[in-house]
Amino acid sequence: MNRLWPILLLLLGALPAPAQTNVTTATLPTARGPTLISARTGDFDLNAREAVYRGHVRVDDPQMQLTCEQLSADMPQEGGHVSHIVAETNVVIDFMDNKGLTNRATGDKAVYIYSVQGGVTNETVTLTGDPQPQMEDGQGNTIVGDVIVWDRLSNHWTASNFKIIYRHSLINSPAATNAAPANPPPGTNQPGAPPAR
Amino acid sequence: MNARRVITRFLLPAGAVALAAALAAVRAQPTGHALDFTTTQYFEPPHQQQVKSILSGAEAVARPGQPYLIHQFRLQTFDVNGRTNMIVTGPECFYNEKACTASSAGPLEVQNGDGSFHVAGDGFLWRQTNSLLTISNNVRTVIKYGAKMTAWP
Repeated sequence: MNRLWPILLLLLGALPAPAQTNVTTATLPTARGPTLISARTGDFDLNAREAVYRGHVRVDDPQMQLTCEQLSADMPQEGGHVSHIVAETNVVIDFMDNKGLTNRATGDKAVYIYSVQGGVTNETVTLTGDPQPQMEDGQGNTIVGDVIVWDRLSNHWTASNFKIIYRHSLINSPAATNAAPANPPPGTNQPGAPPAR
Repeated sequence: MNARRVITRFLLPAGAVALAAALAAVRAQPTGHALDFTTTQYFEPPHQQQVKSILSGAEAVARPGQPYLIHQFRLQTFDVNGRTNMIVTGPECFYNEKACTASSAGPLEVQNGDGSFHVAGDGFLWRQTNSLLTISNNVRTVIKYGAKMTAWP
């Protein structure tokens, strides 16, 4: 069973923890810049109002940049809003956290959903796929999970069945901290250090 | 019979006949141009009274045996309620009436009714039967979020 476990990511460190995913705080922008999509080719169903972009797809948004090989989106009518986007194959999302560090999320598939239900707006990006989606923060820490969900309104991330790989533990492990010099002088005693090879 | 007699008696008249036949064939095919070209497509039953798409142009040039050349074309598609789905515009395209296609190697723009969804690209093929538009190169889309559409409070 995939339970969504909320995890605290680095970008949340500078944010007040939202009580719910649908945040209406003053920290959010009051207007949003345009979203740009570029691709090599595109198929547009003018009746069903569906667009499929193929080849070096790139999405530039005020909150993030996304690249993938194929992206499908609905085309809104007058006064409408893009409500469904699916990015597939080698999906890479780069976004800036509140500390100014670039974070990167990757996956095989990303699904954007926008909806308004009962006056409440929801806007999420869900990463899935095989291999598992992952997210790396600006300091190299990586989160790998079955499903990674980005709530765009609260800037809150959640993951299910996740594990966290701390870059800190890899670089500053005790063995590395107390390691002997690579080329100890001849005759120098190195208590506790492994014999030189 | 020498060569001059052959040319005079047979080849020249035959050539004249062939030339006249060719000219007649050319005249039989529609040529010329028309201003304010428009062709309308309707939905299939039960919505056969509703307009599905309108392809129009400032000028249409009919060429023998070839698709119409439409200058300043505009393609507008509708849903069954009459609302505008998308508007496609460009400097020119070729409209094949038999194949029900329009195409061009040139630039085009696509947008919805209020311009909040805008696409530009180079080279396209539009299939009228299924309203599928393929843009071949350099596809750029801009999605604008107006005050009415924004999710922000």
